[in-house]
Amino acid sequence: MSVRTTAPPELTVTGVTVRFAGLTALDAVSFTVAPGTVHALIGPNGAGKSTCFNVLSGLCRPASGAVRLGGAELTRLAPHRIAALGVARTFQNIVTTRGTVADNLMLGRHALSRAGFAASALRLPRARREQRAHLDRAREIARLVGLEAHFDSPVGLLSYGDRKRVEFARALCLEPRVLLLDEPVAGMNAAERAATARVVDTVRAELGLSVVLVEHDMGLVMRIADEVTVLDFGRAVAHGTPDEVRRDPEVLRAYLGTGAEGEDAA
Amino acid sequence: MSERFPRPRAVRLGRTLALVAVLCAPPFYLDAFWLRIGLFSMAAAVGAVGLGLLSGTAGQLSLGHAFFLAVGAYGYVWLAGEPGPGLPTALAAVLAVLLAGAAGGLFSPVAGRVRGIYLGVATLALVFLGNHVLLTADSVTGGFNGRSVAPLEIGGFSFSSESELTVLGVPFAAEERLWYLGLALFALTWFTARGLLRGRPGRALAALRDSETAAAVMGVDVARHRSAAFVVSSMYAGLAGVMLALAFRRVVPDYFGLVLSVDYLAMIVIGGLGSVAGATAGAVFVTALPLLMTRYADQLPLVAAPGSTDGGVGPTEAARYLYGALIVLVLLFAPDGLHGLVRRARARLRERRGGSPPTDTTPRHDPPRPAVRAKEPTP
Repeated sequence: MSVRTTAPPELTVTGVTVRFAGLTALDAVSFTVAPGTVHALIGPNGAGKSTCFNVLSGLCRPASGAVRLGGAELTRLAPHRIAALGVARTFQNIVTTRGTVADNLMLGRHALSRAGFAASALRLPRARREQRAHLDRAREIARLVGLEAHFDSPVGLLSYGDRKRVEFARALCLEPRVLLLDEPVAGMNAAERAATARVVDTVRAELGLSVVLVEHDMGLVMRIADEVTVLDFGRAVAHGTPDEVRRDPEVLRAYLGTGAEGEDAA
Repeated sequence: MSERFPRPRAVRLGRTLALVAVLCAPPFYLDAFWLRIGLFSMAAAVGAVGLGLLSGTAGQLSLGHAFFLAVGAYGYVWLAGEPGPGLPTALAAVLAVLLAGAAGGLFSPVAGRVRGIYLGVATLALVFLGNHVLLTADSVTGGFNGRSVAPLEIGGFSFSSESELTVLGVPFAAEERLWYLGLALFALTWFTARGLLRGRPGRALAALRDSETAAAVMGVDVARHRSAAFVVSSMYAGLAGVMLALAFRRVVPDYFGLVLSVDYLAMIVIGGLGSVAGATAGAVFVTALPLLMTRYADQLPLVAAPGSTDGGVGPTEAARYLYGALIVLVLLFAPDGLHGLVRRARARLRERRGGSPPTDTTPRHDPPRPAVRAKEPTP
């Protein structure tokens, strides 16, 4: 069982630029996620938040710029290598696999387990022991996010909120040092949102991991984020604590679409 | 699934022993015709389990399964025979399986880059390539007429009719002996494939099928697992090829055509994608049906006797129509195949017995049924 206990390394994004056929999705974006903090990425739709996550998790290769986690340069690594370094993510639109909640959570243990094709086919004692141990840990994590009652249920039968939780739990199963959450409470009701916020707080306190959060729910962002980066049209227009960002005129302009001069023009 | 409602160990052990006893009995009671159906079914089941792993679990469509079956069958014949290295037959069988796996590995650069229907078309090329090689490489494959197969010999025991052997008053010829070999190899396939599917590799392969993105982000090396699926599937195909060669006693290139690949796809679709039991059921059905229809052609309506020229539908074609129709029915009404049907029937049975079904916990208000169903009169 490997539960990472060391403090997470610093995650630094420097000058990352991503272009999709002429469209600049990210334009020299830089920010730093201090170890053990919750860092929120906010911005209007299409600002480049999810693209930024795709760069962090290796699904999208930037045209220029660097992403460093401690000593490792992530932009040159394949997604599964980045996962092995302890970077886990959830998706905005839920991406689970068929099968039960347990199957999904055990997929999250993939990078932490060793059993290969031969060992699993021959059901070597080593492989079976490993599977049992990881299943126990997956069950613990299911309990942590409130899924223990559904542990053996097919994911397809769960409610939307529960499936969001499955994704969250699956990411936690990686024992991540950096957790990337893409709109973890979208489509949830107030009670579910509060429950998810509590779990984020708990895992940060207990596991000491860094969290990068993309979220439209400003209430949640203001409550749990230590630091906020605001993206607009692919550029980072503001950084700071939630309070600073809330008062930033650039942010108001990005969100409301008008400033004083905009009103004059109209 | 059964492991979530664990039965007492003794009950499970008892069931397994009963099953083993039933499977071991046929050579004492059935003649060579039925035993051969069994042998072909067991070989097909091994091959279908391999294809199920690749196409059902890992989601990689393959029309090239016949090619890997041919590599296993011809690999064994060549390695064990003259012309060829003339290796001990048991060693040749093992090497033939590894050879098929290596062939799958050689194809993996293609498999790693091409997806979906395009992969299906790419694997199609393998079948034509294979057929061409089988017909032209005379010195290895025997060309159009094929080659005869050296009987397997393990530790001095030959799986052929050459030496006399009588067990409990029943003469054991090649079919009887091969039956037990087939059973052992099928049991090995069942054991290993279920271990794979329920373990870490199986989950990774299923994740590839459902979302390569999610799999990659969760730490699954996509390219490695895609090619590993091909290698493992080809090894099962190779084993099936060896078993087929032993059962046929002669390998001919005609057999390993595109139709064989399609037959294997039919097996896993009818049985239910992604399940070992389903692949087995589908394999038995698709293999046994044409043989049975050929045997009983004279008693079946609308089916001509084999070799007759009066324009009726031959039994092999009729069998193909039948399972073609069955595939359509399965796709329409039971997309998860025979395996899914059985699983749902079991869940319903459990519910009726008073146990709660594993997933559906809402109470059903079925009309009251008599506790003991009266036997319906047989017409």
